[in-house]
Amino acid sequence: MSSMTMAMDVDDSPSKITFSRYYAYIGFIIGVVAFVNLGMSYDADAIFPALTSSAGLMWAFIGAIIAGVAAFSVASIRPELGESKAASLLVSWLDVAMGMVALTFVLAAFEPSVLEINYENQSNLLSANVIMTMNMVFIFSAVCYVAHMFAYDSFIGKLATYTAWAAVYAGGSGLLLRWHESYLIGEAMTDSSIGHAPVSNLYEVFVLLCCITTLIYLALEKKYEVKSLGAVLMPLVSAGVFFGIWLDSIGQSDIKPLVPALQSYWMKIHVPMNFVGYGSFAVASAAGMLYLIRQTIERTATSSHYLTIMPTLKQLDELGYKAVAIGFPAFTLATILGAAWAAEAWGGYWSWDPKETWALIVWLVYGAYLHVRVTHGWSGRALAWWTVAGFLITVFCFVGVNMYLSGLHSYGKLM
Amino acid sequence: MHKSSKSVNVYINAMRSMSLAVVLLVVLALASIIGTILLQNQQQTDYMQQFGVLWYWVFRSLGLFDMYHTWWFQGLLAFLMLSLVFCLWHNAPRMLREVRSRKVFITDKSLQRFHHLHHWYLRNTSKEEALTLIKKRLKDWEQKSSLEDDRVYLRADKGRLHKLGYIFVHSAILIILIGGWSGVQFGFRGNMSVPEGGNESKINFLKGTDIETLAMDFKVRCNDFYISFYPTGQPKEFRSNLTIIEDGKEVLTSDIIVNEPLLYKGTRIYQSSFGDAGSDVKLKLFYMDGSSKTEEVKASVYQTYKDSSTGISYEFTDFKPFNVENMADPGEPKEFQDLGPAVEFIMRGPDMETVKIKSFMNPFMRDGENLGSLLLVSFTSDARDYQPVSLGLDFTNPKEWALFHAFARHLEKNTGNDEKKNFEAFKAALKDVFGDTRPEGLQTMGSHIIQSMSILAKIPWVAIPVLDDYEQHYYTGLQLTRDPGMNIVWIGSAILCFGLCIMFYMPHRKIWCVLQPQGDGVRLSVAGNTNRNTLGFEQEFEQLIASISSNIRIKENV
Repeated sequence: MSSMTMAMDVDDSPSKITFSRYYAYIGFIIGVVAFVNLGMSYDADAIFPALTSSAGLMWAFIGAIIAGVAAFSVASIRPELGESKAASLLVSWLDVAMGMVALTFVLAAFEPSVLEINYENQSNLLSANVIMTMNMVFIFSAVCYVAHMFAYDSFIGKLATYTAWAAVYAGGSGLLLRWHESYLIGEAMTDSSIGHAPVSNLYEVFVLLCCITTLIYLALEKKYEVKSLGAVLMPLVSAGVFFGIWLDSIGQSDIKPLVPALQSYWMKIHVPMNFVGYGSFAVASAAGMLYLIRQTIERTATSSHYLTIMPTLKQLDELGYKAVAIGFPAFTLATILGAAWAAEAWGGYWSWDPKETWALIVWLVYGAYLHVRVTHGWSGRALAWWTVAGFLITVFCFVGVNMYLSGLHSYGKLM
Repeated sequence: MHKSSKSVNVYINAMRSMSLAVVLLVVLALASIIGTILLQNQQQTDYMQQFGVLWYWVFRSLGLFDMYHTWWFQGLLAFLMLSLVFCLWHNAPRMLREVRSRKVFITDKSLQRFHHLHHWYLRNTSKEEALTLIKKRLKDWEQKSSLEDDRVYLRADKGRLHKLGYIFVHSAILIILIGGWSGVQFGFRGNMSVPEGGNESKINFLKGTDIETLAMDFKVRCNDFYISFYPTGQPKEFRSNLTIIEDGKEVLTSDIIVNEPLLYKGTRIYQSSFGDAGSDVKLKLFYMDGSSKTEEVKASVYQTYKDSSTGISYEFTDFKPFNVENMADPGEPKEFQDLGPAVEFIMRGPDMETVKIKSFMNPFMRDGENLGSLLLVSFTSDARDYQPVSLGLDFTNPKEWALFHAFARHLEKNTGNDEKKNFEAFKAALKDVFGDTRPEGLQTMGSHIIQSMSILAKIPWVAIPVLDDYEQHYYTGLQLTRDPGMNIVWIGSAILCFGLCIMFYMPHRKIWCVLQPQGDGVRLSVAGNTNRNTLGFEQEFEQLIASISSNIRIKENV
């Protein structure tokens, strides 16, 4: 009997290393929080340089080591306590984040000195190159995913996935580097309040959107092996990349100080959360499109090699729903966070500003999608179209409102 | 009686039906679009101009200019609330029953209907032993077992509270709507402008198409307003120093900036805008009759100054100490430059076209070079039609003004128009103004004067108005709000997020195991279903089946 339980435990319990690594990350975060609250006099303007200073890093690493060692000993003494579902679920994401941070530290060493930094001409900053690398790798990855559809080959498939990951790393560290650079510019202009999180203009958030969308897709790919979804989604991401390149070409990519309305900690929370929503809706629409493609192929040809690569209609339907299930709560939370910010900056949590109203429209559209799906039992073709239409509305909410409608969100405006 | 209750039932059924809810959501979404395309709460005259009289009245009677506050839009929201109430009323008891119910017994017939179903036959095992095995495997599930005849039934649940998610989400939306409604009903939101040094106790707000005022029970005094700038020239902070005065007593003095409002007795005071509160400006008029006469005009913004000798009036409309303008050519990347203080005014007079002018105090500097004074002129009184008029001459330099006239005089004397004569005239003019010394910046001055000769001749005005000096007075634009429903909205929002998490990430998964002794062994059936995330459950169920199978193999090999 005892051999039986042993076999069961090994099956699905995470290893001790995973467990202690997970707690090391938590310790790292606690160290950072402790440093911000106890180790430095809190100053929102200087939080980034403070965290990357040696004192900040020391606090973080001491926290990580203490928590990691403690978790390792707990897992060694009482193995049953070392079984944490959260650990196995989250640790790989924390690895990714840590990888980006580490990469940023390496890249930051190659940054030009403060004396060479010039606000008027920011072309010598490294992040532009890193983000351009991301652009190229994203496009390459998209090509690989599409090629993988036509020439089914495991090498191309692997290449597609690895390059998608590489692009996400480049984008993530490019943005973190930009954050660092905004402080370098602040130093060069002797005004530390110029530094700010890299989510303040359309260019930066497009980079963020491409990375988050790809990450959500990669999570689904890892779990359900759906590379053909990438063949639809990654070209969409590439379209975003081209938009970013265009923004760069019209001089919208410079680091600029924040207008008073954006000087708030809410910006760092509200904006990225919104892009989790937008990104998920993009993935959902890609699943919807693939559904429609597969259905068309099925109607014309009974056996096609595409059909063997693509997930079944039922799986695609479910994948679309899954993406909405990630996006809808995230988008709801983002909208609530936006309302909380508006209550602090604009005198009310809801002003029927075009951006707010379009966010509500997006929310209503996906709310209606969930209703017809769950309670009316709709599925398949109609919902596939719904996710595609929903994404178009989302795109309008994101870019269209800034381009065509005026309102309080005008700092996202194309000039 | 019977008939009427039946028809009421029909309405109730319609109200709680999901189709209605979906239609409502879509209609609400479509209606909301109108208000984002049609700019809300603009000047009525602008609407009139934009749509013409007929459509203006059609739109106005539909309330489209303040759409989100019309009876029909509010009615849609009320309808949504009603639908939510009926939905909850109808479905909540059933869902709560489902959450509580953990029926263990299951018939063979319903077992067969499960999509996920697996059977084993375990040799040489008692059902107790088999039950322990299963229970151990399902240890992180909620278990309940019962013995019926010779069979053992085991039910395992995960996410049993899933249905509560529905109840939470729908009540949360109701709570948010109630919070929003009570905010509108019992709160206020309006603006006030307080000049520096002055105080104000009334707020203005739009109701429909009319502006209404509301008196606060305190006064707000603006002690000071200032703008700070980044080294790059962009504004960094708008800050007002305010004092609250209640019953003639100063109760509170505090600074507010954007994103950091002041809370006083339930009323929040926000920094929302700023503007000119009637700055004192001094214009210098440079007469164009060749007399080299200048005259000073002292006035303040929002005032009109009338020059009795010429009959020309100056209506001052705005003053800004900073004027950041795009200096790039159209199509080029934008390049912003602060052109310094400028005053805007409308100039009217006999025998002249009325013009709107923006006059800058400093000469126009470009790449370190002084290009002379600059005016922006619009003949439509619309700031969008401003045309830059470079005057050539730097009017802030009195020597240039004098030299210009001396040059003009000498030029008149030497009739003829070749370069040599120009040069002679210029030399004579220099001698008149500066004597024998050579002034600094002579070259710039020379080119200014040459340029201005052709430009100034074309200007039809009696005098050129150039801003000479100013003393600025700001007003701070404040927004005052009270929203008793706001905390209700936050509570609703928290419940909404919590409910959504339960709904999406805690699917209700059920497993039934039936153990029946058969011969010297046990027949084991495991069935499962879920209401969400079927793909994930499929994997989970497969893993469960695989691990049970492997355990059975291990047991059999022992």
